[in-house]
Amino acid sequence: MRLLVVEDDKDLNRQLVTALQNAGYAVDAAFDGEEGHFLGDTEPYDAIVLDLGLPRLDGVSVLEKWRRAGRRTPVLILTARDRWSDKVQGFDAGADDYVTKPFHMEEILARLRALVRRAAGHATSEFQVGPVLLDTRSSKVVVDGNPVKLTSHEYRLLAYLMHHQGRVVSRSELVEHLYDQDFDRDSNTIEVFIGRLRKKLGVDIIETVRGLGYLVGEIRPEPGKAKR
Amino acid sequence: MLCTLILLTAGVVLSELNRRAVTQAFDERLRLYMKVLVADVAALTDGTATEIGNLGEPQFQIPLSGWYWQIMKLDQEKDTAAVFRTSRSLFSAVLPHLINPNDPQRTTDAGDGFLQGPDHRRLRILEQMIDLGDNNRFYITVAGNSVEITNQTRQFNTALLIAFGFVGAALVASTIVQVRFGLRPLARLRQAVINIRRGEAETVGGAFPVEVAPLALELNQLLDANREIVNRARMQVGNLAHALKTPLSVLVNEAETDDSALAAKLREQTGIMREQVQYYLDRARAAARAASIGSVTEVDPVISAFLRTFPKIYRDRNITFSASGVTGLRFRGERQDFEDMAGNLIDNAGKWTKSRVEISVAVLPSVPGAPTMMKIAIDDDGPGLKPEDRKEATRRGRRLDETTTGSGLGLSIVVDLAGLYHGRFYLDESPYGGLRAVLELPTV
Repeated sequence: MRLLVVEDDKDLNRQLVTALQNAGYAVDAAFDGEEGHFLGDTEPYDAIVLDLGLPRLDGVSVLEKWRRAGRRTPVLILTARDRWSDKVQGFDAGADDYVTKPFHMEEILARLRALVRRAAGHATSEFQVGPVLLDTRSSKVVVDGNPVKLTSHEYRLLAYLMHHQGRVVSRSELVEHLYDQDFDRDSNTIEVFIGRLRKKLGVDIIETVRGLGYLVGEIRPEPGKAKR
Repeated sequence: MLCTLILLTAGVVLSELNRRAVTQAFDERLRLYMKVLVADVAALTDGTATEIGNLGEPQFQIPLSGWYWQIMKLDQEKDTAAVFRTSRSLFSAVLPHLINPNDPQRTTDAGDGFLQGPDHRRLRILEQMIDLGDNNRFYITVAGNSVEITNQTRQFNTALLIAFGFVGAALVASTIVQVRFGLRPLARLRQAVINIRRGEAETVGGAFPVEVAPLALELNQLLDANREIVNRARMQVGNLAHALKTPLSVLVNEAETDDSALAAKLREQTGIMREQVQYYLDRARAAARAASIGSVTEVDPVISAFLRTFPKIYRDRNITFSASGVTGLRFRGERQDFEDMAGNLIDNAGKWTKSRVEISVAVLPSVPGAPTMMKIAIDDDGPGLKPEDRKEATRRGRRLDETTTGSGLGLSIVVDLAGLYHGRFYLDESPYGGLRAVLELPTV
């Protein structure tokens, strides 16, 4: 899962990025509206945390531009503006959630989990494929009731595949969603991670679709996109 | 007060002038008699006349009438004064003297004054010494009853008193009329200022006479300046509170990543700061109400905005938000206030409800003399509240369930705002089984 944080306060931005990384996300940071808009417009994020009072381009405008351009990425607005009219404006512009400052990091994490899950068309925080159970709330993976210890990269890879179960996920898509923009992207490392994952899980739920990518679960229509 | 003093002084001066004039006129008469007597005495000593003292005034004939004359002959060698002739009215009495005719040191040959007469009346007396030569020196006294002077003076004073009494009364009456009518614009100005203070008007309106108009204008400008200052202060408080929220978030988050005692203290204190920031933001907003007289808010757009937004806020809970009832109503007040009231109540209903939040709008039957009220009821099918808890929940600053997120100010803001607009806010039982929150607000 790859997220974007658009927040002009450097400390808060750093805290958000750190907390989100600790929760197992790949995170990019932007510090003004224009940079944020550009990243959100060009990179395939799974969710975006957006401040409203941004320099250069205001948050609501950024959001409206994304939505007009057809970007459907879930957006969580994080702002000090707590008037009802602000909230209405934010949701009308296309926000998926709205959190006012000051906030608790736990709340942001929970809401982002819900956003990502909802975008994947999933109702609970737990994903199950065969004997493998992934709990996004605790970031834990259990196989047949036994906990499996994964590195953050391995967890991210498995979580992305399980969020999009039933769909063939290409290697380049995985790279885009698993690493932040500063990472040296080499799609070969994906194969290494897939191999390690298969070994750690002990059950083979990840199917290699030759020439296309990887598949978890049975093929089905894409719920996340069909819903919109 | 000043009027009375002026009237009094004028009265005293006039009365004194009159007394002098009357006395002078009286003296004039006495002096005429004196002249006749002097001429008679001269004629007598010449031998050209034998009779003396026919002054043509019968009062001098009537005994003790108060009108007398008396001529004394002075003998210089013997230094005596003997009565030479007197008026009949004097009988055998002798008139008193103002000057001692035999006093060698006397400086004057004539005198005038008041003295007690033989009949115990107060007499006006004129005296004169004449020297006809050959040791013929006479001392002549003419006296008149001073009652005449007193009477005339008294009459005049009475007339004066009556006249001045009328003048004084007229002055007082005219002053009252002036104050009553002349100061009426000031009373109107005062009422206008009271209305502004009560929040029923924004400016001093209406036409004022030229004397008061500049004052009204200045007052309006002062009010404008005042409003400007309040607005600026409110905006700055708002900006400050908002600006504090981001650093506060940073502190809260930093403290959460740490287990030290310092972090615990930080968590505790940032919690307090957070509440304070929210409190003063709300206060700043409340302070803005005074400047929002006369604004009108369309109810429908606000409700439909909420119906759009709340399903997104509570997306995971699958709650149906719906509205019914009268449309096209307008709230007599500021939009933000209406949003705060309705929004907080719908949000509160959303927090507690199981499946639905229903907003119904109605117009209350109008009461004569009171503004028309609309009634907005917000129903949910949540757990509701016991009757005794409902009252408690609408008390200011109470948070019924401390575990539910929210500052606890939500309902108290609604209570404050509804009161501010002379509306009503209360909780009731909903037909859906949960809580019904009712707002009664003035409508246009």
